[in-house]
Amino acid sequence: MGNAQAKTIRIGYTAISVLVIGFVVLPLIFIVWMSFFSNRILSLPPEGYTLDWYRRAWQMADFRNGFFLSLRTSLIATAIALILGLPASFALARARFPGRETINTILMSPMIVPGIVGGSSLFVFFLEVEFLTGWRIAGSSPGLIAAHSLIALPWMIRLVTTSLIGMNPSVEEAARSLGAGPLTVFFRVTLPVIKPGVIAGSLFAFVNSFIDLEKSLFLVGPDRTTLQIALINYLEWNFDSTIGAVATVQIALITLLLLVTDRYAKLSRAF
Amino acid sequence: MSEVVLQDVAKHYGDAVAVRNMTLRIADGELVALLGPSGCGKTTTLRMIAGFVDATSGRISVGGRDVTGLPPNRRNMGMVFQNYALFPHMTVAQNVAFGLEMRKVSRADAGKRVREALARVRLGQYGDRLPKQLSGGQQQRVALARALVIEPDVLLLDEPLSNLDAALRHEMKIEIRQLQQSLGLTTVFVTHDQDEAMSTADRMVLMYQGGVEQIGPPAEVFGRPRTAFAAGFLGIPNLLAGRMTPDRAGFAFEAGPTVRLQGQPPIAGRAFLALRPEEISLSTEPPATGRNALAGRVEIMTYHGSAVEYQLRTDAGPMLSARLRAPGLGGQPVLPGGTAVWAHWAPEAGVLVNEH
Amino acid sequence: MSMSDTVAQMAPPDRPDRRPPRRIGAPFLTTPALVFVTIGLLAPLALMLRNSFNRFDPAELMISAFTAENYVKFFTDAFYQEVLLRTLGISALATAICLVAGVPVAYFLARHVSAFAKRMLLIVILVPLLIGNAVRTSAWMLILNDRGVLASVLGVFGYEGPLGLMYTATAVTIGLVSVLLPFMIITLNSVFEAIDANLEDAAGSLGATHLTVMRRVVLPLALPGILAGTVLCFILSMNAYATPVLLGGPTFHMMAPTVYQQVAKAMNWPFGSALAFILMSVTLILTVGVSALVQRKYRRWSE
Ligand SMILES: Nc1ncnc2c1ncn2[C@@H]1O[C@H](COP(=O)(O)OP(=O)(O)OP(=O)(O)O)[C@@H](O)[C@H]1O
Ligand SMILES: [Mg+2]
Repeated sequence: MGNAQAKTIRIGYTAISVLVIGFVVLPLIFIVWMSFFSNRILSLPPEGYTLDWYRRAWQMADFRNGFFLSLRTSLIATAIALILGLPASFALARARFPGRETINTILMSPMIVPGIVGGSSLFVFFLEVEFLTGWRIAGSSPGLIAAHSLIALPWMIRLVTTSLIGMNPSVEEAARSLGAGPLTVFFRVTLPVIKPGVIAGSLFAFVNSFIDLEKSLFLVGPDRTTLQIALINYLEWNFDSTIGAVATVQIALITLLLLVTDRYAKLSRAF
Repeated sequence: MSEVVLQDVAKHYGDAVAVRNMTLRIADGELVALLGPSGCGKTTTLRMIAGFVDATSGRISVGGRDVTGLPPNRRNMGMVFQNYALFPHMTVAQNVAFGLEMRKVSRADAGKRVREALARVRLGQYGDRLPKQLSGGQQQRVALARALVIEPDVLLLDEPLSNLDAALRHEMKIEIRQLQQSLGLTTVFVTHDQDEAMSTADRMVLMYQGGVEQIGPPAEVFGRPRTAFAAGFLGIPNLLAGRMTPDRAGFAFEAGPTVRLQGQPPIAGRAFLALRPEEISLSTEPPATGRNALAGRVEIMTYHGSAVEYQLRTDAGPMLSARLRAPGLGGQPVLPGGTAVWAHWAPEAGVLVNEH
Repeated sequence: MSMSDTVAQMAPPDRPDRRPPRRIGAPFLTTPALVFVTIGLLAPLALMLRNSFNRFDPAELMISAFTAENYVKFFTDAFYQEVLLRTLGISALATAICLVAGVPVAYFLARHVSAFAKRMLLIVILVPLLIGNAVRTSAWMLILNDRGVLASVLGVFGYEGPLGLMYTATAVTIGLVSVLLPFMIITLNSVFEAIDANLEDAAGSLGATHLTVMRRVVLPLALPGILAGTVLCFILSMNAYATPVLLGGPTFHMMAPTVYQQVAKAMNWPFGSALAFILMSVTLILTVGVSALVQRKYRRWSE
């Protein structure tokens, strides 16, 4: 095989890849770029540049409150996923017991069951509980947080389990033989060693909760909408660069989180 | 005093027996090597001493204190693992300091002892590095310093050299032995490499299928293996089945001929005559009387640099291998395949071993 | 030896509390998470299954019953069958496009790119994946609408007519492909990376052209992984909600939005539940069926 031919093949793959990756990424680049246009109605070419849309987006209560509600909900959901997921990951990664595969499948199932199906079943479930007991869950904070924790949990378990399986078990034994008790071993050795997995798990849990649309759709209340719901509500009636400004903030946030995660874990392993 | 005593220690995994009733006494300051083929229970034994594996039965004591039920963190033993097991998130100095910290040694005191321990393994300059910034040999020395700094009652080493290349392995082997002797540490060293056991140990314990096959100083075990397995494992390929003659002065091969024995303890029943290939000479003429001889034919001849190795088919049936000095180094001329030869050896060169 | 003497002199065994702590039963560590998922997902799903056999009543919402009428309604009402067929068609199309476009990119990343460039490109591909449906679809609206980016660019080339792309099957397909492609690329990338590059060089050295190497060596080896990626994309697009709603508009009906509409807007829980289970069952049957078929063919290949 000639070198020229190898080069042709390479160029061919590069060209296709540029096109495909461009197709995936360009829309985001456009929305970021156009969020700075001063045009009243979104169109090319730009009439000038402004930061007005960002100010407007900030002034809109739906977006501002939505952002903070999303932030808070996703942070709490991540914390819950951490609390529930860490012990479960230890059992799944370290122990062999009957039913382990089944338990693993069940814990991963929130990732597998379609968002709309999971969301609508939770919605009906909450309402039926409300009929029976009078507790209002749908549209309340706890209901929303529960749904988001459900989104976050499998990501946490998946990434923490992976890093636990990759850990050299004699490191813990070394600590034991040096005089550390089980708790000391856990906090001084195990946790620091799997820290990258925990961080990656937390970030994926957070991001996937933050961007959730399908489950939240059923569970937001009249004056408690998450950022994603606020976005599509706004899109129903308007289309201007306020959307672009909000989108840009979200793109910046998520890119940043991915860059941070990348420092700790191989990103492709999460999928 | 930190004499280690294992009394009837056994470990069962369900129906499988990893270690069967092992009784062993390791004197204070002694280095004992556990040697044996893969799966014979070396690691399990070591881990029972360390406390990572609960013995199914039997008792373990250190310096007269029964430690059988103690968790590993209460045993004050230094352990070095095959894969080093350094804490990846701590620097070299932090790794070494960990055990002192667990013992609540004051910061200043700990700092001093860490420096001394690192100097002892010639890593004084490396305290601030992370383990992954060190070579394999350096990591192994950190692991050693970390185990030694706590002044353990017993030092446990599980195949500490198997991840190193040949030159480093040799160097570390000597280093471990020197440290162990200068500190007078009671040490258990697991290996499946006989040279390692030979050059480090005061005594070696040869294990086979969970049991002790033979215990003794390396020279004795090598010189006088007591069982066919021991002889085979220690590299004696020639094991000829037969029985001692009633007058105890001869050995009758199952294949026919009888040869003379000299200085062998009596063995009743089926036994093996173990012959090292180096002890066998070859000649085309019948040898002098006084030497044991078997007639045969060269089947395969291979060069090994300084030696020539022959596979012989004896007329009586069994194969023999012989290892002779190469002609260039003063050995006799090469005998090509097919040559009819006499294989002969001095009666005292044959070692009589039990079947089991 | 005086072993037995020594042992007789041993100190008495330590207090029982100094025995190594028994490991807490590992399975119980999963209990909190398991309870949570059971209450938050499995119980609601079970309830939903049960509800799908109930009867809808506009005044009382739901009347407990055991009837198949919701399922019958689906299979007798041409409208819903059309919704299902449209969902299937769009999903198949989007998945096929992702497969064709994803394979070369994944292969490129696995074989032709430095480690650092690959890490960066993976992040570039992951951002659109993790940016959320709301932002991504609004970006597409920006491009596809009649006065959007695409129209402006075409305008430069003299095309003035309305694009008419928004609220069409084309727009929905484009939107779906853009979210599924990253999944496909990342899945396939790990598949290709697991294949020893030496195999390709070996085949090449035996005189095979690049296309032959791909067809005879790489793709057969990658087939199980490709299948997994394809199935994943198909499932995701079968269940897509935001893309059809925002890019397809109010008259473009697909399954997931219809489930939402029935459950949350019409409050017809029995029928909405039946729709959800039909959606999941059809997806499951198709993916299992197609996987089995492909694997049978694959086995023939490898013989
Ligand atoms: N946790 C366990 N469960 C079941 N069987 C085990 C376990 N650990 C060890 N064994 C078995 O016990 C026997 C002895 O194992 P051990 O690890 O002590 O061997 P070893 O002499 O160290 O071998 P190697 O040289 O390969 O390290 C083996 O047959 C092994 O399969
Ligand atoms: Mg071992």
